[in-house]
Amino acid sequence: MRAESLKGHLDALILAVVGAGPCHGYAIIEELKQRSGGSLDLPEGTVYPALHRLEEGGLLRSSWSKDSGRRRRIYELTRRGQRELGVRRSEWRDFSRAVESVLA
Amino acid sequence: MSYRDDLHRELTAVGITGRQRSRITDEIEDHLQCDPKADLGAPQLVARQFADELGTARARRAGFAGFAALALAGVLFGVAFVTAPGHAFGSIPGAVSWPGRVGNWVAVIAPQIAFAAGLLALLRALRRRTQRVIAAAETRMILRRATVGVFAGLASMIGLALLAEELRPYLPGWWVTLAWVCAGVGAVALLASTPVLLAAQRLPSLAEGSAGDLFDDVGAWLPRSLDGRPWRFALVVAGAIFVLMTVAGVLASDGPDGAVRGIADGLLCLLGFATLGRYLGLWSPLAD
Repeated sequence: MRAESLKGHLDALILAVVGAGPCHGYAIIEELKQRSGGSLDLPEGTVYPALHRLEEGGLLRSSWSKDSGRRRRIYELTRRGQRELGVRRSEWRDFSRAVESVLA
Repeated sequence: MSYRDDLHRELTAVGITGRQRSRITDEIEDHLQCDPKADLGAPQLVARQFADELGTARARRAGFAGFAALALAGVLFGVAFVTAPGHAFGSIPGAVSWPGRVGNWVAVIAPQIAFAAGLLALLRALRRRTQRVIAAAETRMILRRATVGVFAGLASMIGLALLAEELRPYLPGWWVTLAWVCAGVGAVALLASTPVLLAAQRLPSLAEGSAGDLFDDVGAWLPRSLDGRPWRFALVVAGAIFVLMTVAGVLASDGPDGAVRGIADGLLCLLGFATLGRYLGLWSPLAD
């Protein structure tokens, strides 16, 4: 899938992955690839600015943790992020249902 | 030079420094340790993406934070205004000294500027609330609106305190105390929003594009005859202010006084539009 067409959905995708449990940047990117069977192969450099922006917007929070001697920034959803994820999911279902009914 | 060093340099170039820069480079370093062959993109582009996205988020936050502080200060100012005995605002005894007169005028004019600028900052931030990146010109405009709003709000609080102090001999002690408390709490709320404004000021988005004007904010709610015509819009607003003040004067059994205040306020509105309008993105030199 083209990176350009993914950009509009990047926030929802990140929120969904982080919603499954706290994780660090690299794990988020890998999870996106894995869950989509490799279809969602984003330019990796675009995910970090989005993570920082979502945190500035109060949808994510993050903290450093030590993992096998390495310092890692771990992201998790805030309460507001959980609500936003619910809204995005609902919007996506409505949108995809509508598009599906036209294209099918 | 490593990718981390290049990114560090490019982040500095776009205005991302200190802890934020260290955090980004540490995260990227961790990513490269997980996958040394990862394609993160050119450091210059990654740094710019950070600036655009963070600059957008911070400008939006400044719009929200500025308005939230102004709303609280506005309520406190309103409490002092509504509870003021007689005509404490706008008409003061002749014996009052010049600081009292200045305070009186500031307490009348500054809240109107604060309300208009803060509301406009909020409107633009709300309109752009789902956008990842907005133009640098637009982030600057949101910031200008929020900053003018907050500083006009602070001036209002100072004006209120000056007025209360000068009117101490003429008004009950409880009101003077109340006005001081309202001015103090309001000023603290407004000052508390300034770190958010400064953070946004330090990191602007770099994206190209225009800032737009007033009609990008309120155009959808205006009749066609006003859309894209800032001066006609300003005249209608000034006229509405005149009518409202006159009606308020009639209801208070002092129609002529209301009409005089209405004319003065309407003219002030036009003056504000002429002097601050371009700075706050209400009109462009080519409009009308």
